[in-house]
Formats: sequence, C-alpha cells, structure tokens
Amino acid sequence: MALVTRRFSVPARLGLALLLFFALDALAFRTGWYVSILEPNSTAGALEAYLDIEEQRPVGRYRQVLSVGDSRMGLKTRVANLLTGNTGCAFGTISVPGTTPRCWYYMLREVDPGCDRYDAILVPLDSYDDRSWENQADRDLDISYLTPLLRVADLPRFVLSYPSWANRAHAAEAVLLKGLAYQHDFQSFLAGPLTRLEGARLHEEHEREWYYNAVWERRSLAGMSVDWNAKTVTLPAWLEPDKRREIEHALLDDPPPISAGFARYRRQWLGAILDRYRGSHTRFIFLRLPRRPVVRPETPPADPSSTVRQFAAAGRIVLLPEHMFDSLERPDLFGDALHVNEEGGYQFSMMLAGEVGRLLAPAQGAR
Amino acid sequence: MLFHTPQFFAFFLVVLALFYTLPRPATRWILLAASYFFYMCWNAKFVLLIIALTAIDYTAAMWMRRIPASRKRKAALVMSLSANLGFLGFFKYYNFLAGNLAWVLSQPLDAFALHIILPMGISFHTFQSMSYVIDVYRGQQEVIADPVDYALYIAFFPQLVAGPIVRARHFFADLYHWRAPDAREILRGTLLVVFGLLKKLAIADQFARIADAFFRDPAAHPGWLAAWSGVIAFSLQIFFDFSGYTDMAIGLAQILGFHFPENFRRPYLARSITEFWRRWHISLSTWLRDYLYIPLGGNRHGRWHTYRNLILTMLLGGLWHGASWNFVIWGGYHGALLSLERVAGIRERQHWSLADPVRVAFTFALASISWVFFRAATLRDSLHILRRLFSGSHGHILWLHWQLWFVLAALVLAVLEESYGWFERLPEAPAWVYASAIAVFLFCLELIGFSGRAVPFVYFQF
Repeated sequence: MALVTRRFSVPARLGLALLLFFALDALAFRTGWYVSILEPNSTAGALEAYLDIEEQRPVGRYRQVLSVGDSRMGLKTRVANLLTGNTGCAFGTISVPGTTPRCWYYMLREVDPGCDRYDAILVPLDSYDDRSWENQADRDLDISYLTPLLRVADLPRFVLSYPSWANRAHAAEAVLLKGLAYQHDFQSFLAGPLTRLEGARLHEEHEREWYYNAVWERRSLAGMSVDWNAKTVTLPAWLEPDKRREIEHALLDDPPPISAGFARYRRQWLGAILDRYRGSHTRFIFLRLPRRPVVRPETPPADPSSTVRQFAAAGRIVLLPEHMFDSLERPDLFGDALHVNEEGGYQFSMMLAGEVGRLLAPAQGAR
Repeated sequence: MLFHTPQFFAFFLVVLALFYTLPRPATRWILLAASYFFYMCWNAKFVLLIIALTAIDYTAAMWMRRIPASRKRKAALVMSLSANLGFLGFFKYYNFLAGNLAWVLSQPLDAFALHIILPMGISFHTFQSMSYVIDVYRGQQEVIADPVDYALYIAFFPQLVAGPIVRARHFFADLYHWRAPDAREILRGTLLVVFGLLKKLAIADQFARIADAFFRDPAAHPGWLAAWSGVIAFSLQIFFDFSGYTDMAIGLAQILGFHFPENFRRPYLARSITEFWRRWHISLSTWLRDYLYIPLGGNRHGRWHTYRNLILTMLLGGLWHGASWNFVIWGGYHGALLSLERVAGIRERQHWSLADPVRVAFTFALASISWVFFRAATLRDSLHILRRLFSGSHGHILWLHWQLWFVLAALVLAVLEESYGWFERLPEAPAWVYASAIAVFLFCLELIGFSGRAVPFVYFQF
C-alpha cells in the first residue's frame, strides 16, 4: 500500500481533512455564536440563560452570595435582595432545574473563573445523608446541560466520571464533537431559523426580568392530611392525578437508602467544587431544603460519616442546622410533592437571607 | 454489524491492519474469516447456508471442468441452479406461494405458512454464484480450483449483503493479480466511504422518517401534496440509502485493493425509464440482461418477443426484490414502460437538450410512482396512495424547508458531476480541495446525520 507518492500523500490529506473538520466545528460551536442562539427552552439553552444573567449581574458593594441547586432550591433572589440593606448581601442564583453537583462544578467554573467573585456559595441538599435512589454518576442528562461548557481539556475528568461505556462515549462526543451534541438543536434551528433568531433575541432582552420576577405556583396543598397508620393521603381537589401520585410516593414510600455510590459521587463533585475554591475567600454554606409538604413522623438516624458532615468536620464548609427549615414543611407552603410554592419561596428566602447575612457579618467585620 | 456503525469501523480497521501486515498467502484466509465473522454477527447459523451453497457451486464448476461432455455439464449446471433457486425459493418465496395457495383454496392466508427468517443477502450471493456457474458452463470463465478463493468471492464482506453483484472474472482478476492500491485509490476509497455515510445518515435516514410516517398511515396525511412529498421522500430515501451503501462497499473494497463496478450513475437524472435502468442498480440490470433477457431471446426475434422479454425480465426482477404482488407489479410496471418507450422509439441520447429537464422530471415522477408499490405494505395501500397522488385537496408538504434546500443542493451537485465529473476528480485535486471536501462531508454528517438508533439499509432485506 503506497501511502505517499510524488503527487499524493494519504496521511497528509486525511490529517488536513480532520484538522479542517475540527476547525469548522470549532468555528461554528466554540466561538459562542451558536450558544447565543440555542433554543431557550432546551436544557442547555435554559442553563445558558441562567449563566448569562448571572454573568451580567453587576457586582456592587455588597457581599456577593450565589446559589447553586436544582428546581427545589426555593431561593427567590428578588425576595432575598429586599433584605440587602439589613444583611449586606446581594443574592444571585444559578439554580437550574434538573442540575446536579457535576453540573454545578462546571457552572461555577463558568460564572466564577477566578474563584474570587463570591463571598459565599449556597449549596442546597435534600439530605445531609448520602441517600439516593438514582445513580447520579451515570446521569446522561448532565451531558445535555453541560455541552456548551465543556472544553477539550475536560475530556478525561468528565468522560471518566461516567461509569458506563455508553455514556462515556456520549460524554466524549459532547466534549469533542460539539456539532453532534447540538445536532437536534441545530436541526430544529434549520426548521425555522428566523423564528429561532427572533426567539433568542427576545429571550436575551428579557430573560433577566422574566427569571427574576418569575411567579411560582400560587396554589398550595393547604387542606391535605396524612393518615400515617393507614398510609393514606387526602389532597386538595385541584391537584391533577399525576401530582397526587407523586405526593403519595414522596410521603408514603420509604426514604431512599444510604448509597455508597452516591457518597462517592458527592465526594467527587462536591469535593471538586471545594478543591477549586481552596485558598479563596469564598465560603460554602450547605443547607437542607424544606423537603416535603409535611414532616414525616419518623426520620431515619443521621449518618455521622456522610460526605457533607465530613466536609463540615474538616472545616471546609458551613453546614446549616439540619432542621432549620423544617418549619416550612407545611402544606400551605408547597405547590406539589417537592417544590415550595410562591409563599413558601418567599418565607424560605427571607429565612435563608437572614441566616446568610448573620453568618457572613462577622467575616466582614474581621476584614 | 451494519456498515454505518462504530462496531463496523472497528472491525474494518482490524481487518485492514491484518490484511496489510500479514504475509500475502495469509490474506485470503484473513478476508474469508473476516467475511464469515461479519455475516455471523447477523446470524451465526446462516453462515452454514452460504458455505453449503459455496460448496455446491464449487463442486458443480469443478465437475464441469472434469467432464467436458455437454449433457453432463448441463446436469451440473442444472444441479447448481436448482440448489441456488431452491434455497432462494424456499427462504424467500415459500410463504408467498403458500399464502396464494391458501387464498385459492379459500383457507386462512397463514394456513400453510412457516416461520422463516430470510437469510441476509441471499438474493445477492445466489445471483453472484449463479453467474459464475453459468459463465463456467458457457466457457466464459475459468474454473476456480482453490475453494478458499471461490468461497471468498461469494462471501467477500464489502458486497456480501447488498451487492454490487460482482462478476467472477472481475473479482478473480483483482484477486490473482492483486497489487497494493496506490495513494490515489486509497484517497478515492476513503472519499467514497465518507460520501456513502453522508448519503445514508444525512439524507436517506432524514427522508426515511418522512416516508415511514407517510406510508405507515397515509390517511393521516391528507392531500396530494402530502402524498407526493411522502412518495418522493421514499424515492430519495431508497436512492441515497442504496447508493450510499454501494459507495461504501466500493470504497472499502478499493482500500483493500479490489475494484467493484459502478452501481449507480445519477439515476434520477435519467431522461427515460430505459436510461433510468442503465443508471440504477447497474450490476443487477446487467445481470438480468445477460442471464435472463438475452437467453430469453432479447430483441432478436421481432418486436413482440422483445416486449414480452422485457416485461418478463422486469417481472422476475421485481420478484427478485421481494415475495409479494407489489414487487411483481413494480417489475411489470417498469417492463411495460420499457416496452412503451421502445414502441415510441425513445432511445438513450448522449447530448442534452432544452426539453431534457422536463423529461428528467417526468421520468422521476414515473419512477416515484413505481416506488409506491415497492414501499407500501399491501396492494390495497398502494392503490389508495396512487389515488391520493392524483385527487383530493392539496394538503401540505411533509418536508421541512431546509430538507428541500438540501435536496436542491444535492441536485446541483449531481448535475455538476454529470457535466464535469467533479467527484471523480477530487482525489487528484490539490490537497486542500480534497481535504476541504472531506471536512465538509464530515461536518454535514455531524450536523444532520441521523444519530439515533441505526436504521438498517433498505436493501439488506433483499
């Protein structure tokens, strides 16, 4: 097989072809242009919108506090910032529905590349124990969220964080072949380019206002009751059947088991976040969210060796008292099985802002 | 293990490495083992069928060489053809015949049916095998004495499952006078593989979604515009699917130092159905011409015999594709059109005229109508869709705008290839031109290649 002749060199031509292909891919998808016209309602598009708002949020003279988390993070920054005069803190959020600690690591890297923007970062958890039904380490949805944020240098860490080979391949695609990762979005763009461009423009113009002033579920579960012996739940009439089932499962099913795999996952990604900020002035405040619309009568014993308790014991984080927000676990403050409603968000934000202000105040005094 | 899956490319790289690093005498064994392995990835048991047919045809040819007496030679030929047609008939046509028999006897249609799995590629390798034995019988082909060489001819993995149907003299010329492909051939082979992938994943599979949705439930897509767009989607799917597969097969073979014949030459630019069949699935149409049409008498016995031979050849060609009345009608329709064109004195012409775009569009429409029978699940569905093509409200086009633009771009490229042969000249073009072409193909593949579950090639079912 003669690979090189006077006129043709196979390796050179194929090498050049690959180089040009990656250049095309980079030009289209790594320059930020395509990310600016992502479908705003897609996973990656929504995440980009949150990051964009946070990156553009002006940093004033107040202490900067940022919240990560998923849709269950009940912090309404508009409410928390009403107290800025008292707390001395300005709150921002990149709590994006459906995100997990692995996503938070890359999101924080994006909004705070120098690890010097925030005085405190709030990390909400459902439990201080490492309890989970889900194998979050192999969660492929994270790839959809993180595609715009992944760089070539992330290849080994990100890809190897997935235990299954199928998801490793998928993760490698998202790192190396952006076009492939954006394929669905790109084809939907082609189906209506002008509509998309207009939608993206409108979204960019108004996203801060829409997200900041968003009104959550106004209705509540007030009137619900639970018979723990008979294992029955009585719910308000307005709830749809699937929401009813969710609430019954959330309240009556056994809590998820302590999982060694989930502990490993938390140590890996929450640990990576803390490692990144090692030596910075940023403090990490971990808190347990209001979990359900009612407090369950029996709670499993706490695991003293859980990941976050170990972090707290090592002085790497501040762990808010586990039961601090139990008083908000009330039907009238919840809109469904897992999420606080508008009123719940208001009360939670006030409580949290006050507590964070109190925690950070001595630190400022010491400066 | 489909051609467009990562597993196949891993397999091919291993084969390539072994083929070019082991001593030459071992390479035939390597290719044969790889071919059987490739087939066994689909169904391990059916490799025995290929081996059995290979043994029968090999023995028949050897017998012909030893016994020159014509009657015994004929017996060997009949034995070989009976075996091939017997296997083909049983696996492919038994249930069709059983269903028709049941219908004639007023029995339930599945009264005599058997649960039969159609061995992948059986229509292709039996035709290839038969052409060898017939050529040996006619004295047009040397008998191949080495069973490994013959087995490799039948099972060679780039063309095992969907052709092109390679004639023995071409294959053995490559095998016995094998020389390492030069850089230009490797560049052409690589280009064909990438281009074939692009055709399959970026175009065929895009249109497969539209065609599948339409043919699954034509009533859900009212209007003649919807019907035409659904039917044309299938016309595009089957062309880009099959020619994409063929491009890959030709390209893979070329990288291994084998030269397969051209199988498609821009058939949708044909100005008549006669010309269409000189451009579409060329290896099958020439096979049918050489082993069916000409032995039937071809055009040597007057007009009516010619028409009869054309129709008969195309009917059998239709039946070769599949065991159903739809395929018979599809073949008969093409046979009738070929005969009508003869009656009208339409001949293939070299030069293009101003009216030719209209002729191309008309021929494309005629071909698309034939695909209705090819694709629809039943004869009743076919007739329903045909009615829909020419009646009712207009409805709406099932395509997205960008798909229309994409096809127009493909049409422009096809016209340019017809006029200037740009594709064939690419391997010799300056490095940056060749590299840019591959890069653009890969980029298109990345953006619009269908990346869901691998959709099998249409012709794998034949």
